[in-house]
Amino acid sequence: MAAFGGTSLKSAARAIMQSVLPARSQAPTNQKWVMVIDLAKCDGCRDCTKACNKMHYVPPMQEWIKVYEVADNPAAGEYYLPRPCMHCDNPPCVRACPVGATFKRTDGIVIQDNDRCIGCRECIAQCPYSARSFNWGEPPHTPEETSVPYSTDRMYPHRKGTIEKCGFCPHMLREGKLPVCASACTMGAVYFGDELEDAVTNSKRETIQLSKVAKRGAGYRLMEELGTEPRVYYLPPANRKYAAPDQSAKLVQIQPARTA
Amino acid sequence: MKNREEQLVQQMTHSSARYYAWLALLGAAFLLGLVAYAIQVRKGLIVTGLRDQVSWGIYISSFVFWVGVSKGGTMISAILRVTNAEWRSPMTRLSEAITLLALITGAPMIIADLGRPDRIWNLLRHGRIQSPLIWDFLSVMTYLTACVIYFYLPLIPDLAILADDTRFPKWRRTIYRTLSLSWRNTPEQHQLLERAIHAMAIIVIPLAISVHTVVSWIFAMTLRPGWNSTIYGPYFVVGAIYSGGAAVLVAMWALRRAMHLEDYIQAVHFRKLGKLLLASTLVYLYFNINEYLTVGYKLEGFERDLVESLFIGRYAKMFWSVQLLGVIIPIAILMIFLLVKRLKRFSVGAVGISSLFIVIGAWVKRFLIVVPTLETPFLPAQRIPAEWTHYSPTWIEWAIVAGALAGFLLGYSLVAKFFPIVSIWETREHEQAVEASRELRQKPTLSPARTIAITLVGLLVLLCAPSASAGTKPKEPPKSASVTLSYQVVEQKQETPVATGTAPGTIGTLENPFANRRSHEEVAIPAVLVLAKLTDASGAPLAFKPMSFSVRTYFGALSLGNRPTGADGVAKMKITDHRFGAYAVSASFSGDDIAAGASNSLEVTAAPRPAPALPEQGMLITPYPTFWITLPFALFFGSMWGVFVYIAFLVRRVHKIGIMKGSAG
Repeated sequence: MAAFGGTSLKSAARAIMQSVLPARSQAPTNQKWVMVIDLAKCDGCRDCTKACNKMHYVPPMQEWIKVYEVADNPAAGEYYLPRPCMHCDNPPCVRACPVGATFKRTDGIVIQDNDRCIGCRECIAQCPYSARSFNWGEPPHTPEETSVPYSTDRMYPHRKGTIEKCGFCPHMLREGKLPVCASACTMGAVYFGDELEDAVTNSKRETIQLSKVAKRGAGYRLMEELGTEPRVYYLPPANRKYAAPDQSAKLVQIQPARTA
Repeated sequence: MKNREEQLVQQMTHSSARYYAWLALLGAAFLLGLVAYAIQVRKGLIVTGLRDQVSWGIYISSFVFWVGVSKGGTMISAILRVTNAEWRSPMTRLSEAITLLALITGAPMIIADLGRPDRIWNLLRHGRIQSPLIWDFLSVMTYLTACVIYFYLPLIPDLAILADDTRFPKWRRTIYRTLSLSWRNTPEQHQLLERAIHAMAIIVIPLAISVHTVVSWIFAMTLRPGWNSTIYGPYFVVGAIYSGGAAVLVAMWALRRAMHLEDYIQAVHFRKLGKLLLASTLVYLYFNINEYLTVGYKLEGFERDLVESLFIGRYAKMFWSVQLLGVIIPIAILMIFLLVKRLKRFSVGAVGISSLFIVIGAWVKRFLIVVPTLETPFLPAQRIPAEWTHYSPTWIEWAIVAGALAGFLLGYSLVAKFFPIVSIWETREHEQAVEASRELRQKPTLSPARTIAITLVGLLVLLCAPSASAGTKPKEPPKSASVTLSYQVVEQKQETPVATGTAPGTIGTLENPFANRRSHEEVAIPAVLVLAKLTDASGAPLAFKPMSFSVRTYFGALSLGNRPTGADGVAKMKITDHRFGAYAVSASFSGDDIAAGASNSLEVTAAPRPAPALPEQGMLITPYPTFWITLPFALFFGSMWGVFVYIAFLVRRVHKIGIMKGSAG
């Protein structure tokens, strides 16, 4: 019975999904981007955040890739959790956007189009990863930022009253370069690659096999139980080499299915 | 009884200084709200207390509140009309006015909340039927249209009466005359109008339920703790009946005193509506218990923080005050004053006060629905100042929300002045009916149970609604060597589970019980056997040398490991990865004392890359409207608009008959 429900749902989905897509949904290349973050390697230096903020002229008080300090249970100890946009395959934000200002591309990237956004913030309410920010006031501008026309690839110049989020640096990918958070990570904890190639690469040019590392390393996705199907995989923070976060700081507790 | 009509007309033609002072006060408050909004538009939402973590505040909770209040008119007017509760007649007009004005007040609250109100037209240009906000837009617009029609239809005969009344100034009579569609009170016109009103009364009920359900879906369609609840639709509907009914009672209480309508709005009306209010408050209490007990009992991970903040934490005072002052105490007051016969004479005041408590409680409850959930997200903010994580509204927000309330009261005061706030013809008809059946003594009361049953039936209606080139690279001293590559695609062996002696009907142990949960089927990719032949310059095979294999990827190279060459000089590498499309496999020999290093690469294809498409997992993320999501909305709203067209047709006939009579007479 489950198989019946499963297959018919899937074939229905396939029939729907393979209709002709508008040009903006069609990615320039036939790839499926995927990120792997090795939590054992993350030392919480926040180089990823800094590099991202610099490159995208991210407005103040926003962090498109935010490093959380997490403790799942008192016994397991604390660790750092970098959180970019998960670029979910079943993205609640895309589902609920009333005007299609945020949409899914065929390469898996969830794009934000601030030419269209009406600023209703339904996507903020929808996103379980708090991966979206809002330009509450007019963002401070720099001449470099405003020198280029707005594009969904670069995601700036920023505008008042619109949503901001990580976009996996589409303009870097076009040039065959890693997203800036991956290339800026001095620990080599952030891997990025094409799922269809079954390989991800980090800043140290170490390329690992996605399927193998996910299998052997017990890779998981954040809040798997919500069914959002993220495109960001985490490798558990086992046998960490670096100091845990300061215990006095207020820690987040997340309870995915892996607290056992 | 004629003198009460005199009193009503007197109130409409004569305004006291107090009335003008009241209008001036409301006008000032409304203007202050507009000024606050102008500031917000100029500076952006930074002027509010809203930030990334709590991104919705009192604008959204006020929107929910006003939409809830708008339910009042439908409950009092439509449900009582459909159930033929004749005693309703003095209250229908004033409650329909509440419905209409509450919606006109509520809908702009969403616009006040928008970051880019200048782009509101994108809702029409790029609207996605998959979005709950579009559902909201559709249902609020449809409901608003229905409310305008439903307010206007029963007004037609009264407008004709007033148009003939010489006490009104000429301009007002002209407007009344035009709006009355040459109503002559003929039996035919009467019958047509009754039919139109009845049709509207019926469809306004599912529409009202749809609006309140869809408003709840803005929240319930998210994954957030507290909002992710299946009870939200009916919970909001019940909450709306409760707050809307109370709003109608507050309006009755206020109008009765301000306009001296004691002859129309009598104590008996307060008692009857009070009982209805008591019933809906009890149902609301029941829903509250259901909503909070189920989460409070389990204390499930993410919901624990929310429950804590509501029950004993930051919002405890507010939460318990609302439950006590907005639910428990009104229930107690209503029960005592309505059910104890000796206290009957206090019932007007008692019902009025408990209604006021309920209305205020309902606003605060909406705040408690919106804000605490946003303050307890899955990933709470860190290293961010407290004012960015906790919400407190700024004066701009209060001014806008208060301005909206002032606008509502202003609109209501003007409507009550310009239109007869009590339906003259319906109360006349009711009087006649009462006199005719005085000896029969029928009791046309509506039991609360019946109201609930009708609501549930309406809800049910809603439910129907979701290279192989030998390039040699010789190296220095030893012997030069070369690698020749070839590959073959080999079918991967399917592992068939060995038939173990399990009893019939049981599941084999090798079967993965979680397999059905996997969102996408694994595409079987044939394995690739890469053969790398290492030969020296003369072509003789070089045996037992380590060959390392790697794959060139978009960002780097993935090492596959080493394989030794056999006696024939061939190293075999079997690739069983999940890799699609053409990719370059390179084999290299790093060289030793006998032979120099050599490498070569070969383009390999095991399986073609799947065509670019959106992921199957995202059923509702399509950029275009899909059939099965559009169908229920098209059916529901289509039929509603169909009825509107029918009503327009009936009204046209009424108008035609009037013109004919006019020219004949």
